Amino acid sequence: MLDLFPSREASPFGRRWKRERGARIPVTVVTGFLGAGKTTLIRRFLSSPEGAGTAVIVNEFGAVGIDDAILREAAEQTVLLGNGCICCVTRTDLQVALRRLIFDRERGAAPRFGRVVIETSGLADPAPILQTFSTDRALGGEFHIDVLLAVVDAVNGDAALDSAAEARKQVILADRLVISKTDLAAPAAAERLTRRLQRFNPRAAIDIAVAGALDPDRVIEPATSEHVGFLAEAEHGDGIASFVIEQEPPLEWPTFSRAMETLIALRGSDLLRVKGILNVSGCRGPVVVQYVQHLAHPPVELQAWPRSWPEADRTSRVVFITRNIAERQVRGLFAAVQALAKD
Amino acid sequence: MAATDKSPLTKGYQPVTWNFKLLAHDMLAGFGGMGEGMSVQIAPDGRRIIWLAHESAPKNFTAVDVSDPRRPHVVCQTDLPHANMRSNSLETCGNMMAVAYQTSKKDLQPAGFELFDISKPENPKSIGFFDCSGPHSRGVHQLWFCDGEYVHCASGSRDFVPTNALDDQFYRCVDVRNPSKPVEVGRWWMPGTRQGDNVMPPPRHPLDKGFRAHNTNVYPQRGDRCYLGYIDGGMFVLDISDKANPKKVSQWTNSPPYTGFMHTVVPLFDRGLMLVTDESTENNCKDWPKLIWVLDARAETNLVPIATCPMPDHTIYAAAGRFGAHNIHENVPLPTAWHSDQIVLGTFFNGGLRAYDIANPYQPKEVGIFMPPAPPGAPTGTIQLNDVFVDERGIVYTVDRQIGGLYILEMDF
Repeated sequence: MLDLFPSREASPFGRRWKRERGARIPVTVVTGFLGAGKTTLIRRFLSSPEGAGTAVIVNEFGAVGIDDAILREAAEQTVLLGNGCICCVTRTDLQVALRRLIFDRERGAAPRFGRVVIETSGLADPAPILQTFSTDRALGGEFHIDVLLAVVDAVNGDAALDSAAEARKQVILADRLVISKTDLAAPAAAERLTRRLQRFNPRAAIDIAVAGALDPDRVIEPATSEHVGFLAEAEHGDGIASFVIEQEPPLEWPTFSRAMETLIALRGSDLLRVKGILNVSGCRGPVVVQYVQHLAHPPVELQAWPRSWPEADRTSRVVFITRNIAERQVRGLFAAVQALAKD
Repeated sequence: MAATDKSPLTKGYQPVTWNFKLLAHDMLAGFGGMGEGMSVQIAPDGRRIIWLAHESAPKNFTAVDVSDPRRPHVVCQTDLPHANMRSNSLETCGNMMAVAYQTSKKDLQPAGFELFDISKPENPKSIGFFDCSGPHSRGVHQLWFCDGEYVHCASGSRDFVPTNALDDQFYRCVDVRNPSKPVEVGRWWMPGTRQGDNVMPPPRHPLDKGFRAHNTNVYPQRGDRCYLGYIDGGMFVLDISDKANPKKVSQWTNSPPYTGFMHTVVPLFDRGLMLVTDESTENNCKDWPKLIWVLDARAETNLVPIATCPMPDHTIYAAAGRFGAHNIHENVPLPTAWHSDQIVLGTFFNGGLRAYDIANPYQPKEVGIFMPPAPPGAPTGTIQLNDVFVDERGIVYTVDRQIGGLYILEMDF
């Protein structure tokens, strides 16, 4: 539309947004292995002032309805998805449920909620859920994941991380980690778990929640506002690695986007999560990009850098969480595209 | 929060604050029934003052210090000379303010506009008056004053005899460079609305609100154009390059089949777009739908409607008061006003304040809503937001038509 109706006020990416989610409904996805304490955490959040006006979507695996019954009293709207894991068979159910929430809200049949919390089943792989929100065709036009949170319990978390690839993936992909049940575990065990989680995901801040007691802001504060989320690197098991590519001078958007297109074309299925905050040449504010496997979120230019960001730091940073793609391969691709662009 | 038991509203009607942050609410000393004049002045002492017109008597205008938008306070509130008049519209330019005076009946005084020196906001000083009274005139309903030189207004006149009594106000341009002696320099009316015109009077619409001028916007980007809302006559683009002899460039109307009362025309020059608003004037959605229209204005002689700003199902809003479009932020060409061709902010009476992203003008998308609870004593039991203004800091001011006064907000999208 900018060709027909150009605007000097607009950025190359459209209207500059005040925040990454723009006007979209914020979503917090709570993952965590079976019995980790997800429901307790959500219930405490719903009872706080910040939790008012929240719609909850619960995905139960097996024991239908238990968590739903606990949450139903507290939430504005509670939707229970069918028997199956949210990341595979019920992903369409998730889309249908979210669309129905919007529809009911618009016609006044549902209270006007301003936030969604999704409780995944313990076995859920977060990546397909992230995909659900990545494009307009899916739900990216109406909803935006502000926080992907993983709950790990101090008693059984260690064992779950040993035995279940799903549990490891939940931790690796999370924006924020919450350790629960520290009151029931030996202090040494909790410390050991903390160190282990830091090795798995050094980008994510770790909070402690006893009986679900967590500062409500930590459930909803957008992860992009955290500088630390774009700094650290780690090697994980299961062929999964995370690394950060940085560039201090402003980058050229065509070069960056071509490199990403190539990477997606060649290895899209192995890009588990890519998130960047870019200093793009010619843009006033930072440009936020997100990719999940072969899907790219539409880039968003913000009106300003996040307040929490150090003022002197305008370095572009892209966090890659990949499977069987090494950092040097990605760096090599970017260097090659950049070199060709210069020619 | 659900509607209270005492509220006449249906259960589905709920106050909403979505992607706006309420910074402050001021009931304006108990006189919070506000009109459609809102203008921000930076006073000589540096204070930021918003000047507000009232919907009806007894008050004339109110000035509020909004230097700190979280702590507004009234610094001046004046009275009208009598109850059979209103001053529904005002504009400031530097330290000068123009205030429209419209009487409830024809041939009353004062009908016209008054000019004030507002360099001391606590003590506005009258420096001029332009009389528009007459046996067929109610005076001035609305005015536009942004260049310090000319007032463009919707006004009657002693020498104007309308073919229908409802068609008394037309476009007038008044030179106020000498504020003590304002002089009319030009006028235009819809052909057929003045006795003696050589065309037939226009056929009336069922609600019959008059073929008369409303907003008379003029922008420096096209100083030779006036963008004129003409109520039941639709809207007009006028060529005012010769102020003494305005000429019609184009007209667009949605009525019939709609029910008339076209209100405001805001051109978005860079984009070749135009925003046109209706005004809802009937309670209980009897004139539904009243909309904000987006026009492709790349060819100004062939205006093409391409979209409307989406509104919710009207049934839950139909129980009390008005629901529908009215005023929008007009990108007033002053350094104290916010300018955007990406976001439209409009007031919808009991539908509150709504913001739309028009980055894609074919598909305006709602991005914010502010529908506060009914202010105490609201006769309809609902909010009736009437007008909106955004200052250059992006602070949003919106007013209630009945009693609620001023709400100050931050956009959060």
